[in-house]
Amino acid sequence: MSDTTKDTTMADSRVLPGQERYVAAPDAVKLQEVDSVDESAPATSMWADAWRTLRKNPLFIVSAILILCVIFVALFPGVFTRQNPNFCQLEHSLEKGSPGHPFGYDTQGCDVFTRTVYGTRTSLSVGILTTLLVMVVGSLIGALAGFFGGWIDAVLSRFTDIFMAIPMLLGAIVVLQMFRTSGSVWKIVLVLTLFGWTQTARISRGAVMETKNLEFNTASTALGSTPWRNLMRHILPNSMASIIVVTTTSLGTYIVSEATLSFLGIGLPTTTVSWGGDISNAQTILRTDPSVLFYPSAALAITVLAFIMMGDAVKDALDPKSRTA
Amino acid sequence: MSEMNSNSKNEKNEKLFEMQKEQGPILEVKDLKVDFTTGDKRAVHAVRDASFNVYPGQWVAIVGESGSGKSTSAMAVLGLLPGTGHVVGGSIKLEGEEISHYTRKQYEQVLGDKMGLVPQDPMSNLNPVWRIGTQVEEALKANHMDISHEKRSKLAKALAGSEVAVKSEDDETFIGSKELPDLLKAAQAALSEAGVTGDKAKKKMDYFTAEWVPGSETRWRVADDLIKAGVSDDKAWAIAKQYVLGSTMTDRISGLLEEAGLPDAATRARQYPHEFSGGMLQRALIAIGLACRPDLLIADEPTSALDVTVQKRILDHLHALTDELGTAVLFITHDLGLAAERAQQIVVMYKGQVVESGPSLEVLQHPQHPYTKRLVAAAPSLASQRIISAKEHGENAEALMEHHVKGEETLEKSEHIITVSHLTKEFKLPRKKEMFKAVDDVSFSVKRGTTLAIVGESGSGKSTVANMVLKLLKPTSGTVTYEGKDISGFEGKTLLDFRRHVQPVFQNPYGSLDPMYSIYRSIEEPLRIHGIGDKKSREKRVRELLDLVEMPQSVMQRYPNELSGGQRQRIAVARAMALNPDVIVCDEAVSALDVLVQDQVLRLLNDLQAERGLSYLFITHDLAVVRQIADEVVVMQKGRLVEHATTDEVFDHPQKQYTKDLLDAIPGGHLQLGLD
Repeated sequence: MSDTTKDTTMADSRVLPGQERYVAAPDAVKLQEVDSVDESAPATSMWADAWRTLRKNPLFIVSAILILCVIFVALFPGVFTRQNPNFCQLEHSLEKGSPGHPFGYDTQGCDVFTRTVYGTRTSLSVGILTTLLVMVVGSLIGALAGFFGGWIDAVLSRFTDIFMAIPMLLGAIVVLQMFRTSGSVWKIVLVLTLFGWTQTARISRGAVMETKNLEFNTASTALGSTPWRNLMRHILPNSMASIIVVTTTSLGTYIVSEATLSFLGIGLPTTTVSWGGDISNAQTILRTDPSVLFYPSAALAITVLAFIMMGDAVKDALDPKSRTA
Repeated sequence: MSEMNSNSKNEKNEKLFEMQKEQGPILEVKDLKVDFTTGDKRAVHAVRDASFNVYPGQWVAIVGESGSGKSTSAMAVLGLLPGTGHVVGGSIKLEGEEISHYTRKQYEQVLGDKMGLVPQDPMSNLNPVWRIGTQVEEALKANHMDISHEKRSKLAKALAGSEVAVKSEDDETFIGSKELPDLLKAAQAALSEAGVTGDKAKKKMDYFTAEWVPGSETRWRVADDLIKAGVSDDKAWAIAKQYVLGSTMTDRISGLLEEAGLPDAATRARQYPHEFSGGMLQRALIAIGLACRPDLLIADEPTSALDVTVQKRILDHLHALTDELGTAVLFITHDLGLAAERAQQIVVMYKGQVVESGPSLEVLQHPQHPYTKRLVAAAPSLASQRIISAKEHGENAEALMEHHVKGEETLEKSEHIITVSHLTKEFKLPRKKEMFKAVDDVSFSVKRGTTLAIVGESGSGKSTVANMVLKLLKPTSGTVTYEGKDISGFEGKTLLDFRRHVQPVFQNPYGSLDPMYSIYRSIEEPLRIHGIGDKKSREKRVRELLDLVEMPQSVMQRYPNELSGGQRQRIAVARAMALNPDVIVCDEAVSALDVLVQDQVLRLLNDLQAERGLSYLFITHDLAVVRQIADEVVVMQKGRLVEHATTDEVFDHPQKQYTKDLLDAIPGGHLQLGLD
């Protein structure tokens, strides 16, 4: 086949119909300067890109409005009700709603509306604080394991596996037994972090291992950068997207876990107003007066839904797979 | 294939031309328009008014850079447009029938049977959990192929008619593996009967054993071979009729794979894709594409992912195969040299439009459209000499070296800026006891102010050498010296100093810039690491560097994902230049780029060298590029240094067979060009 060139030479002395020489008019196609930069397009970073995607996502808009409302309620409960959530009068027990007390009263004669409003703060702070702590602890452990590899990875990964093997609720019940009297949300936050960081650690380990092998790290090393600097300046920021995605999605579940623990009676004591506690109290009168149960549950459901929706929207915007390099 | 003298070849060509003319084009694309709909419902015109024809048995190449619409046109023909793409105008006629409005179902009738595809990426186009043979079988079954008879195109039938007199359907029966031993025995008997004995008979038998592949060779070929060996006509046909009785599915599958150039096909058919190399996978895909004997084969960059020598072997084979079967090939490629070498007809596309088309040599030798001219001028495979920087016009490479060596301040320094001696690197392979020698006793040195290229195919260890020179990898033995000092001793401050003087530019322009860093931050990073200047002076320096690589300063606030591959590579060069290095190690720095962009980056590198007396260690698999940039060449194969000489010497008088093979495989390397 070495003589293909000869073949073509012979064939092109005669041209088949429809294959005659054709040259487009030079003006028909504007010849661009080789590899010129389109200066008209706006500059975007990954975050700006994500923000643009988010802004157009109705899921994000709805969840953002809901979350803003919830945060506002949590910060300023006094705006919505003048009552003290712990001010209960037995004479009002199970009274129906009336002006100023739209949700009625529970068994103890406490105003359900007021308690629901004040419960927001507890749930929200548990959710947000746990998420932040989990993000710090989980991503740090995962990043160290992923970055250094070898025996450090082996030790940290087994350590993660051990914690992963403990069911979160079971572990929380055991630990919380020891601190039954404390009314601080911190004990819940710490317990949830203790048993919740493992997933984030795994994700961040994976993300760091993936980013570690990308060429820009080698490039940085060749520029004289130290491994530690690479980790902090290049690898962690590039792994952040995956970490943020898991943690935002699990924020909702932390709120539910707090409610569950309080419902089981080992979470926050009754003196601390929380949705879980209220739901627990209301279960005894579920059949006679379901509305007492309904309001805190609805508030819980809406809040969790809003955060999960937000997590989904953020995932769509930041998902490394859907992002074009 | 039998040898023919040039006379009968001429005759055959004449006949081929007449047949093609008579049968008319097999594929006629006229004013094809393809649009893609974007997320916000805007139409992007991917192909505009493209027209081209393919005649039976012809190779037609569509050439263009990425985004030119060449693949989109081919996919439109196949009815396999991805995502939101659709044909919005024009016509696609297959054997005179309009197919552009076909439904999915109608297309299924045509695909495989009339049109076959050899896709671009062999790794992702074979199912990893199926045996190769099963995947060939699937193609045969989906099209209800008759596995015991060959199917030839009208063209092939007409052309083969002159060689063998009788050829009814029966005569296209394949040899079966069951009958093969008997057939060979009978052939041996017939030979001795015909008076062919001794060495000659043995030679003939060897030929038969090699040629008579079950599931691939037909009855009339067996008869033909026997007649040519001296057996009488009647006897030959009698043997062929008695012993060639058709093949089984297994025979046919291995026959097809064998045809595509896979040795030991029967065993190979039972293996899985991961047991194949890239070249073998591509051969399997060719076997699948040709399994149903389509009249038109569409090959979308079939060999772009492969080493040049492998590419040459595969294309040679494909060419022979399609010639014999009379299959027309629509060949999509970005490589002008390759297109000109393989195809009779070339279609050049740019921004979705056909800018020039015609007989390939004519287009190449007398390009008329400005874009084609630009493309021909930039094609590395067609360039015959080193790029001479505008600033150094008139001086040849030799003088260039001279100049830098005897330059003002460099006199007291050694002539060689980087010296590599007896470098060896061994890797431990998983699940294997012995060490794998990636680099084996390699020595060379880079002269100050010149370019040394390391050439080799994948797995030759060239990148490993680069990483050791950059002190990113520790050699198992041997040394690398920079300015006469062993770099293995560098650490802390001396290492930082070394890093400052020896800078890399990596292959992948998409991976070597941190996507989270703005262009400004990326270029500023080395200055920051080395603590050079304050915020203000650093910004000034970044602006200078952007000017140096001919990028507008406005890109500073942009991010890598907004830039094209070539632009990113120029940013990478700017970053490497930030610290005023002496040596730049380019690891396949232009391999991922389109020809024009590649040419631009090469020229930039060359200008920088002329201006600043930089030394380059240039790692590449592309010998064509070497000719444009290098003063000296080191050829590596399987970790060993094969040849080391000046560029001219390597190109004009290669000493080793391997180097000759590499040079031979440069597509279009032998074509003469006349740029007007």
